[in-house]
Amino acid sequence: MSFVPGLGIAKGMALTMRRFFEPKATIQYPETAPDIAVRFRGRLQLLYDELGNLKCETCFQCAAACPVECIDMGGFDTKGRFHVHWGAAEQYAERREESALRRAGRPVPDPAYSRFDPIDTSAVDGILERYDFDQKEMLAILESIQRTYGYIPVAAVKRVSQVSGAPYALIYGRATYYSHLRFEKPRHTVAVCRCTACLMAGASRIARSMGGALGTEIGRPPAGGVALEQLPAHIPGAASPLVTLDGTPQPRLTAAAAAALGRTLAGGPVA
Amino acid sequence: MSFATRTWGGMSSRARLLAIFIPVAIAAAVVTVGALVLLGPPFLDFLGANMPLVRFVVAAVAILLLTVPTAFVLIYLELKVIARMNLRVGPNRIGPWGAAMSVIHGLKVLSKEDFAPTGTDVTVFTLAPVVTYMASVMSLLVIPFAPGLFGQDFNIGLLFFFSMGGLTVVGLLMAGWSSFNKYSLLGGLRSAAQIISYEIPLTLSVVGVIILAGSMSMNRIVLAQSGSALDWFVFKQPLAALIFFIAATAEANRTPFDMTEADSEIVAGFATEYSGMRFGFFFFAEYVNVFIVSALIATIFFGGWTAPFNWPWAYNLNWFHPLSIGILGWVLIVANVVLIGTVLFAIAARLLGGREWGLWDAIGLGFLFLLVVVAGLVGTAGFIAFDWVAGLVWFMAKTYFFVITFVWMRATLPRVRVDQLMGFAWKWLLPASLLNLFVTAAAVIVTTPGGAR
Repeated sequence: MSFVPGLGIAKGMALTMRRFFEPKATIQYPETAPDIAVRFRGRLQLLYDELGNLKCETCFQCAAACPVECIDMGGFDTKGRFHVHWGAAEQYAERREESALRRAGRPVPDPAYSRFDPIDTSAVDGILERYDFDQKEMLAILESIQRTYGYIPVAAVKRVSQVSGAPYALIYGRATYYSHLRFEKPRHTVAVCRCTACLMAGASRIARSMGGALGTEIGRPPAGGVALEQLPAHIPGAASPLVTLDGTPQPRLTAAAAAALGRTLAGGPVA
Repeated sequence: MSFATRTWGGMSSRARLLAIFIPVAIAAAVVTVGALVLLGPPFLDFLGANMPLVRFVVAAVAILLLTVPTAFVLIYLELKVIARMNLRVGPNRIGPWGAAMSVIHGLKVLSKEDFAPTGTDVTVFTLAPVVTYMASVMSLLVIPFAPGLFGQDFNIGLLFFFSMGGLTVVGLLMAGWSSFNKYSLLGGLRSAAQIISYEIPLTLSVVGVIILAGSMSMNRIVLAQSGSALDWFVFKQPLAALIFFIAATAEANRTPFDMTEADSEIVAGFATEYSGMRFGFFFFAEYVNVFIVSALIATIFFGGWTAPFNWPWAYNLNWFHPLSIGILGWVLIVANVVLIGTVLFAIAARLLGGREWGLWDAIGLGFLFLLVVVAGLVGTAGFIAFDWVAGLVWFMAKTYFFVITFVWMRATLPRVRVDQLMGFAWKWLLPASLLNLFVTAAAVIVTTPGGAR
């Protein structure tokens, strides 16, 4: 009795007839308003101008003002730096996985940060301790972090925010305001010592020609992944003028040799 | 500058229209009255001498006029019923519960461009929908809607019906051929193959009924089933009824046999090149066909206009002659009924609805209630007093039952493959109908005293 002719037809007809009397799925939209929560404010959206540029200036006032921290910022912008996104995590490619994990009840890694190199945050804790966790000293804290790590790791900013209680957006805003603070780890860091002995030996000329070759100068953001900065203190025993490449003292350079080294660095990896 | 020119120049455009329209209307009225006076009596004599002709013309016109509203009702019914079966609401914007949807649909189709693609045989292309539609309409002519209410009681009624049904194929083939499109041609041939294949079991299944009724006249077939529901041919010819139902589904191009013009396919078969009202005619013909096959099933197998049980109170209201009270009497009756009824129902609405109804709301509502009640009373009186009203009600109830069954099937069943379609007709329906015919004939010979006539 597995096959009865017409039984399938009868079952199908019975199904449609049952459906005929069931409540309908249609929502009569203009007459029936959808059930919306009282505090619903619609979908957050970043606006673009007619040229396709993001109108948002990344002032972070919205994120700072948002009482429930629903506005979220992270990612990368068109310059390869930080990008602003906000709204639900599902909207952003880099955060969809996170959303899925959260719904699955599994531990959520923080992809907005974990894509950066993990750092040992104990140094950050030490710096904060030194500045007494004072938010007013944020610039000094950030500079110390950059001195320690060579750049400001995002994980460090996050740690600062967690420990000091300052909003992430505020720290990020301050860090992006000052041009000598950087988020990218430079490929190479060229440091020029400007102690009296080195200055006497022509450190200023070397710094100028090096900066001209790299397209940057001391106190400016790195160019081509190469940062030029001032050595905090003369390495004892090193000859003047002292120039270090990634912390390694270079043999005594003339201005022309410094320019050649700068061009080599700007052109690609050091041979 | 004459007086006439100056007057014309000083008139507004509306006045000019009136100035043209009024003389034309007067002239038309004079001509009409004159023609009636001069030509009326001989014309009436001619009509009186040729009553069958008059009857035929009137019936044809009436049925032609009947088909369009029928198609509208069926389209709306289908939209609404299928929507409900799909858990949707269906049309609900135009008219009450969306009832004017199909009318608007028809107007839309009518307002489209009358377009014939390059290369078409325009004459045949134009005639094809007409042939299809007229074939459907002509087959309505022999269907007995009620006792005395039919186009023509041919003694070859069923034969006429099937021949007219066969004409549909001609229309479809014309459409496919004249479209200058190989897909249309293939679609037309496919339709012809399907309809002709199913016409054979359709016709053969009815032969048993013809043997039992002893006539091909539709009226006789209905009369042969009079009595109670147990006298219906569906109980004497159950296999024939099933075959007829299935074959009629294919004949009307309904799901699951709607290969002819499969709605969901991109290429619409024979109608590929058709648009606007030409396509509208095919569309209408399809729905008229649904009505016709439903009516035919009701007529042949389910007793037509006969009631399913013996009607115990067939009164005759002969004691009342509508003209005996005169026009003034009617005016008085209607005015009093309307006034008193409206007031009574309005008071009832006020009492029941309380403060919710304003005065004018209550009066309007009372008037509506009155109309419903009066219509119901008049209908009931007609149902009791005139057997054609009762017959029409029963006939329509049965017909629409099958119409809804067809719609129901469309909402449920998927389309069959074309080889399954043809195989089913030739391998199953045809042998089954032959078997049914054989058994019926044998039974009639055995049970008739003195052998077959």
